[in-house]
Amino acid sequence: MGSVSLRNVSKLYGTAVRALDDVSLDVMSGELVALLGSSGCGKTTLLRSVAGLERPTQGQILIDGRDVTAIPTRSRPIGMVFQSYALFPNMTVRQNIAFPLTTRQKAPRRLDQRVEELLDLVQLNEQGDRFPTQLSGGQQQRASLARALAASPEVLLLDEPLSALDALVRNQLREEIRRIQQTLKITTLFVTHDQSEAMAIADRVAVMSRGKIEQIASPLELYETPATRFSASFIGNRNALELPVQNGRVQLGRALDVAAPEADSTRAIVFFRPEDVEFSNNGIGHPATVESKIFQGSLTRLHLVIEADGHVGRFYADLPSRQAAEVDLGSHVRVYINATNARVFAADI
Amino acid sequence: MVLAERMRWIGRWGRWLLLATLLVYLFLPIVAVVLYAFSTKWTAHILPDAYTLKHWGSALSDVRLVDVALRTFVLAAGVTVLDVLLIVPAIYWQWTRNPKIRPHLELTAAIPFVLPYIVIAFGILSLSGQFIPTLQGTVWLLALGHVAIAFPFFYWAVDGAMAAANIPLLNEAAQTCGATPLKTLRQIVLPNVASGIATGSMLVFAVSFNEFALVQILVGARFETISLYSLDLLTGANADFNKLAIITCLTFVIVFFMSAASVYLNRGQTQTSRLVTGAKSTK
Repeated sequence: MGSVSLRNVSKLYGTAVRALDDVSLDVMSGELVALLGSSGCGKTTLLRSVAGLERPTQGQILIDGRDVTAIPTRSRPIGMVFQSYALFPNMTVRQNIAFPLTTRQKAPRRLDQRVEELLDLVQLNEQGDRFPTQLSGGQQQRASLARALAASPEVLLLDEPLSALDALVRNQLREEIRRIQQTLKITTLFVTHDQSEAMAIADRVAVMSRGKIEQIASPLELYETPATRFSASFIGNRNALELPVQNGRVQLGRALDVAAPEADSTRAIVFFRPEDVEFSNNGIGHPATVESKIFQGSLTRLHLVIEADGHVGRFYADLPSRQAAEVDLGSHVRVYINATNARVFAADI
Repeated sequence: MVLAERMRWIGRWGRWLLLATLLVYLFLPIVAVVLYAFSTKWTAHILPDAYTLKHWGSALSDVRLVDVALRTFVLAAGVTVLDVLLIVPAIYWQWTRNPKIRPHLELTAAIPFVLPYIVIAFGILSLSGQFIPTLQGTVWLLALGHVAIAFPFFYWAVDGAMAAANIPLLNEAAQTCGATPLKTLRQIVLPNVASGIATGSMLVFAVSFNEFALVQILVGARFETISLYSLDLLTGANADFNKLAIITCLTFVIVFFMSAASVYLNRGQTQTSRLVTGAKSTK
């Protein structure tokens, strides 16, 4: 299976809108990379550029080392799954899956055999003779996946394939896509705006913002050590506190004390996860008031307020629900923030 | 409670009454024409005095009428084919490659509604006289004129079908499957907008079949069509109103059967849509 490389790819709409801004990316053979970002960040434009549905204003796209930038979509070794399935309504599932094979003129016997293999792969053997409108959303997306894989493409492109599905089907299909991708070892680009989806399915996640890749890393690395302020704010449920820098340190009473990111910055943003908020009974930490409690099953989220040195810090902490039951609303607790996993960025950038 | 029941009763019967009035309003002229085509004399009573098949026998054995009907049919069919061949690729191009031409096509589609056909006819006459005078007075010029005035009917029908089928998305999906533009047009686009093409074709056919102003001004008696022949029957020295009623019936039957054929040819798509059970809408 082919690798995908983007070299300094930019895409401009008119002169004002820069959908992709000098993006470079290498996806290794057999790897699944998720393109993660909010609406308008350029992730779909990037995917469509690889597919050839958008022509980059500048830069190069290579599939398996071959420059495909000027090659039309139909001649690229790709298969694509669309958010809204895009199955051909006039064809049955079987005919939809066979369509890419007919465009590549496979012998009829080989074609039938391949269609059956794919129906088997996506577990739609029973629905082969149905029309798309006779299928559920999940079944339609499976059929769409089978069609994308039919011609054995080198690269599989998935454009928010799970967004139109309900939660249960989404989780099932996500696992199935991963299973199929790993079975076939097919190089895959997966566009999503859902971080949990990206984290669950991808070998690496590329976080995108304003047409650029902010960070590309493994899900764990991205979760533990986000490299940029945007990544930190976008990935994981993190608290963000903006605090002044004094003598090279960022402090919030006795609850937080970390080194400032740059000596000359005047304010900093500290990102930390709710599980890094520690409750103490031995006088360590700083007093905090419990503003609200939200029961979330095994965990309860406590919203806390700290006042220290004229600064007010609001953040939340997750406690096991049984432990949280002992904490009353409006009561005072002592807390400190374990700074080991905290990420600090200059606020005045 | 009693008042509520009474209001429901009035509402139910009111709806039926409204529907019945509409049906009478729509069908009464047709029924009257059909009766007149079979009547011997219709003067003093609400229904004809007596009925006969004599007019039908005489009309259907009239060589001039048969010629006129065939000529008009061939013209309307030709105009329909031309509109399909010209406009379907143009709308496909508009949807998939160049959405910027949409306002221009919409403006063009408004012209036949804004300008009277007589003005359009004289415009065509003047333009053709300047650039292609050899076309003047020929059926080809008339056919081109009909193609132009029927454009909006076909455009709106096919454009709506392309929007409903989400052709840009299907086109992209076909491209990612390795299909050439021609294969995409033939195997994906045309089958999915067939209902729009059928509806549009029927409208184009009806417009051309019944059109009068362009025929009169562009070709006149050199290419006599049903509408010109009808005028002759109305205004000529030997005015024959029964024959006129028969022509009206025939026109109605032809257009009616074309509509029925259009519905019949699209029945597969309607059935497929009806079978949707629990499929989530994606549009």
